[in-house]
Amino acid sequence: MTNAAQYLFNGLVTGGILALPAVAFSVLWKLLRFPNFAVGAYLTIGAFAALAVNHGLGRGIEWAWLCALAVTGTVAWAVDRVVFHPMRDRRPFALAIASIGVTFFLENTVRFIWGNDYRSYDVPVTRALVWQGLRIGREQLMILGVTVLLVVLVQAFLGWTRLGVAMRATANNPLLARVKGLPTERIVGVATLGGGALAGGAGVFLGLDTTIDPLLGSGLIIAVFAAAILGGIGSAPGALLGALIVGVMEETSTLVIPPTYKSAVGFAIILAVLLVRPQGLAGGRP
Amino acid sequence: MGDEVGRLFQLEDAMSELTRRNLLKTAAAAGLIVGAPAVGRAQSKEPIAIGTLCPLTGAGGAYGPDMQKAIVAVVERINKGGGIQGRPIQLFHEDSQTSPEAAVRAARKLFDVNRVIAIMSTWASAVTLAVKPLAVEAKVFYFSVSGADAVTEGNHGGYIARTQPNTKLQGQVYAKWVLSRKEYKRVAYMALQTPFALPFGDNFMGTLKSGGVSITDNLIYEDKKPSYRSEITRVLATNPDLIMLEGYAPDSVVIAKELYRLSYKGAILGPAFSINAKFIEGAGAEVAEGIWAIDPAPSFDAPAYKQFAAAVPQADKNPYAPQSWDHVTLVGLALAAGRGEASGTAIKDNLRAVSNPPGTVVTSYEDGAKLLREGKKINYEGASGSCDFDAQGDILSRPFGVYQVRKGKIEQVSIVNP
Repeated sequence: MTNAAQYLFNGLVTGGILALPAVAFSVLWKLLRFPNFAVGAYLTIGAFAALAVNHGLGRGIEWAWLCALAVTGTVAWAVDRVVFHPMRDRRPFALAIASIGVTFFLENTVRFIWGNDYRSYDVPVTRALVWQGLRIGREQLMILGVTVLLVVLVQAFLGWTRLGVAMRATANNPLLARVKGLPTERIVGVATLGGGALAGGAGVFLGLDTTIDPLLGSGLIIAVFAAAILGGIGSAPGALLGALIVGVMEETSTLVIPPTYKSAVGFAIILAVLLVRPQGLAGGRP
Repeated sequence: MGDEVGRLFQLEDAMSELTRRNLLKTAAAAGLIVGAPAVGRAQSKEPIAIGTLCPLTGAGGAYGPDMQKAIVAVVERINKGGGIQGRPIQLFHEDSQTSPEAAVRAARKLFDVNRVIAIMSTWASAVTLAVKPLAVEAKVFYFSVSGADAVTEGNHGGYIARTQPNTKLQGQVYAKWVLSRKEYKRVAYMALQTPFALPFGDNFMGTLKSGGVSITDNLIYEDKKPSYRSEITRVLATNPDLIMLEGYAPDSVVIAKELYRLSYKGAILGPAFSINAKFIEGAGAEVAEGIWAIDPAPSFDAPAYKQFAAAVPQADKNPYAPQSWDHVTLVGLALAAGRGEASGTAIKDNLRAVSNPPGTVVTSYEDGAKLLREGKKINYEGASGSCDFDAQGDILSRPFGVYQVRKGKIEQVSIVNP
């Protein structure tokens, strides 16, 4: 029984790491109407930005994390201005392909600067807490906590602030929003800045939990995609729920299938959702 | 479009190839005229062409330069002593770049232009497997330090041999060490999904089982997953006192960190090509403390190793340059035993006669060649090990080094002989 609880907890932590990029991916998809696969590369950018602060400037991981939010948000905003802005009127397919191109560009830029080696943050590894036979890592608990907090903040922003409401309006009907005088481009700018920051923060979490290398984020993109689709495109709480479910299913799957097939779980979820409930758990239409 | 460009390049290649050939022909003709009087006089003094294909750059770049240095040092000694039956060795150096594609191009040049009869010391298995069919077809003798089973598998007519142990020998040696440490009774095997994982695991676990050690789990994991937590949970649920972690350094770092977090109290064992300085840097000295590593080691006490170490000072004592030293020495001895014709075929026909028992043990080319001239049988014992080959070209035995991470440094603890 403890064992099953352990798998459940492991799954929640994996889901916690997936949640932030899944929220960014989902909200940006709804707003800009294309799946932005560069979110994977934003994770890598965040992880390396924090590495530069942590190793290069010798600051603590909290500072490094905050800088990663700022740097990745800025990079995501710049990518949007340079690449996606001139392509706004193109079909979603063209934009999705462009986002894959952006991924290659960003990953190789990181590789050019830092090389292909894997690295780790200068943070001591701590022993896990043991509670009722359940092993709970301190870093993992913190990752899960910060993630849930951030998703709540995003949801509050979208629900209760003027800018958030304007963002939802733009997402629902960009033409009508523009006609009504909403500064849609500025709204998109804020959304990409925020989405990039979320992904960058998750990249630091992932680097903290494992190791850092230029392909850090792109290995995660299928699971992120699955979480966003499962949650329902455009819904932040949906993406969180989707991420937790994908995480738990990936981890508990190792009880019944060999671990080498873990990656297939994400694909299976995408297939199942698209066949059974294409609008996802939270109901928004993709 | 891409096709057309490709064709254009091929055409250009072919043209430059043509001009190059013409040039060569002209040069050869000129040489013939100038050198004509010498031909009759010194036919038997013609140099023997041998190629080196060490990884001077790329992933093996840390090892290649020393490997080449070792080969050059042996050849200088052979030539100073009057060559092989009066004929000097002429070396042609190429860089494999640790890339199969670059190595194949370089090998073609060595075969077709330099007419080498042997090439030696490729490092990565992927490189060796790419060059292997070319060497077999050209009847060029081919020595490598690659470990994959496929290197010596199949019918290669005897032109392939290597001094790096195959997975079978490696699995047995790792298991033998575990058995020698009586405290490990429950062993779990965790391996990254590679061509190495299954054959190595089968031999490792098979030997352990017949030695009375129980295998608690056998788990192959995927590369590049955000976490290995559930894999580790499954393994830890079986209560192992030793985990054999057969991965590469990046995934081993993630797993070792997680095992530390989960307060795993047992031991960890891995290959030294993954439990290395980079591993310690990634995992941190505290996590890495006490982890065991095993790797094929040179025969540090052998006379041949001492000669090697004097000629090629090595900071990290890696096992590859001593193997190159043995490659060229064995090729020299096999040719010396061959009498007359110097060819890849002569090397493969005489290799085992000079490398395997029975025979007087020799530890250098000079000693061996002297005994061969007296018509005696010899058995070369090299810098990398005893250098005895089976019919397929695999070495029969090899010393292994056992290392342990202590206070953030890798220290050699003992030597295991299979």
